[in-house]
Amino acid sequence: MSTQDVTRAPVAKTAVDTFVKTTGSWVATQLEACTRCGICAQACHFYEATGNPEFAPVWKVELLRRAYEQRFTPPGKLKVALGLDKPVTDRDIQHWSTIVYEACTLCNKCAMVCPMGIQLGPLIHEVREAMAASQVVPADLVTAIRKQEELGSPLGVTEEMWEERIEWIADEWEVDIPIDVQGAETLVVFTSIEVMKFPENVVAIARILNAAGEKWTISTPGREVVNFGVFEGNPERTKLFMARLFDAARSLGVRRLVVTECGHAYDLLRWTAHNMTDVPVEITHIVAVIDDLLNKGRIKLQAGKYDSLGPIAFHDACKIQRRGGHIQEPRNILRILAPNSFREISPNREESICCGGGGGVIAIQEADPLRYKVFELKMRQMAAAGTKTITMTCANCRLQFTDGIKHFGLDVQVRGLAAMVADALIEE
Amino acid sequence: MDWYAILEFSRGPMFYTALLVFMAGMTYRLFSTILLGWQADRVPNRGSKLRGVAVSYLKGFGIWPFFPWVKGTLSRNPVTYLAGGLFHLGLFVVIFLGTAHMLVWKSLLGFGWPTLALPIIDWLSAVTIVAMIALAINRRINPVLRLISGPAEWTNLIIVFLPMITGYMTTHHLWFRYETLFSLHMLSINLMLIWIPFSRISHFMFYFFSRTFHGAQAGKRAVAP
Repeated sequence: MSTQDVTRAPVAKTAVDTFVKTTGSWVATQLEACTRCGICAQACHFYEATGNPEFAPVWKVELLRRAYEQRFTPPGKLKVALGLDKPVTDRDIQHWSTIVYEACTLCNKCAMVCPMGIQLGPLIHEVREAMAASQVVPADLVTAIRKQEELGSPLGVTEEMWEERIEWIADEWEVDIPIDVQGAETLVVFTSIEVMKFPENVVAIARILNAAGEKWTISTPGREVVNFGVFEGNPERTKLFMARLFDAARSLGVRRLVVTECGHAYDLLRWTAHNMTDVPVEITHIVAVIDDLLNKGRIKLQAGKYDSLGPIAFHDACKIQRRGGHIQEPRNILRILAPNSFREISPNREESICCGGGGGVIAIQEADPLRYKVFELKMRQMAAAGTKTITMTCANCRLQFTDGIKHFGLDVQVRGLAAMVADALIEE
Repeated sequence: MDWYAILEFSRGPMFYTALLVFMAGMTYRLFSTILLGWQADRVPNRGSKLRGVAVSYLKGFGIWPFFPWVKGTLSRNPVTYLAGGLFHLGLFVVIFLGTAHMLVWKSLLGFGWPTLALPIIDWLSAVTIVAMIALAINRRINPVLRLISGPAEWTNLIIVFLPMITGYMTTHHLWFRYETLFSLHMLSINLMLIWIPFSRISHFMFYFFSRTFHGAQAGKRAVAP
């Protein structure tokens, strides 16, 4: 694989030091619980699509296990002394870097089948942390990280480009998008995927919030919700990119921050951030906001608006549904919009199969063949349900679905749930 | 060889020493992991962590093949699921509900309990032995299991297998004299007791950590674990 500058430092030493540093009781008890039964393999979409045993989640954390045992347990120390266990080498780090960045989306479906309930997704993220510390990160990911650091967006959207784009969106669709409004209640942060590739999603969310009479704003300094520090596994960068949002929220004096269609950003901001930094605002996801607005009667929708489209399915995103918690809300919304044509694909909800593009995988060109292979699992699911339209609440999944459907030439429409809601609004 | 002397030793001083090593070793393992440090979880909950943990255990114990969350595991890993499940079931029933074993517990704890009839225990032991052989074969042929199995995995399997097979042979007086078989049974149990703290057989203790954590993580997000 192509990695950036790997010839310098003793890579393995840095990696193992990081493993050791991040090993608390949480990691230790999880690793100790593993019986090496291999059941997790069958839950992994990368293993299922390829049959490559190296993609078994248990194998993805192998280096972490070795480092932990060799450093912390007497049998581990003994095994190294007797030559029964191999120390982690530079070559190992290189090899596992490909596996944990290109063949894992950190979707954590494996934890759902593990008889011991081991949180393999977060453990694999720990492995990525060691890779990041030793700077053995796929080159494409590094490029995106640099762009986010220097330009403010992994897609390379600068402040000027962003401002122009927002202005164009507001003009083109004749929608009011408040920017940097002091004293607004809600700060909405989009992904640059939405701003650049799915502008109708920005429009949709703006229309919904305007229709509800919400006092909301977007922020110029806090304009990018995507956080490539998470994909990389670099806590410092993760905090840096988060700080841009929280600083913006503080200076605008908002009460809450709404994450739009971005899976890992939601997992980070809602479920991890408090353990890394001070979170000045309440964090919620747009799908929860929409459901709440409907419940309170602040927006009204044309019931059955999409029933004529044929079978509509919902794709559960790993970070917004399984790891995010918003499983019921999109279903409530779809029961209004398409009570007769909404169909579940199987498996779904917490057991859903990941789209295959999350965790930064879609940003790594080298992983494309693998990513398409994994998408075939989603295609089979959709075919089994006779899906004509698939909807979701994650822009990253949407990118993967749009790309996959184009690649395989499928006759399935991909629609963002927010856009479906906005098009069904009854505006007084 | 004086098998009576070996039997006296292996069911007497050696057994109690092995028990002590087991308890001391497990205590060490427990503290060495839980003293590495825990990070406080400051994330505001959406659902109840307690509820998540309760559901996590209910699901963890509710592993009958017709339960929806088990169906996938059964169809994708039939050998691991069936042989693994029968092995654990047989092991625990034999250890706690076999009359001979209950009497050992009674001598250690001071109280006993009703046990199952010998034919049932006998049949379950046979099932357990067959299940262990199936697990071993599966470990050899399944590509994932082959990849992740090293000397430690094989040693663990053998060390748990020995008490099972010698116990079965003892009740059936197979091939050797009774005192020889009983001695071998006791020796293998002592070996297992001493080995457990140094191996992954200790997963029965850490099960409660991983299962609790899994439940709490799901519970705080208000999703099913």
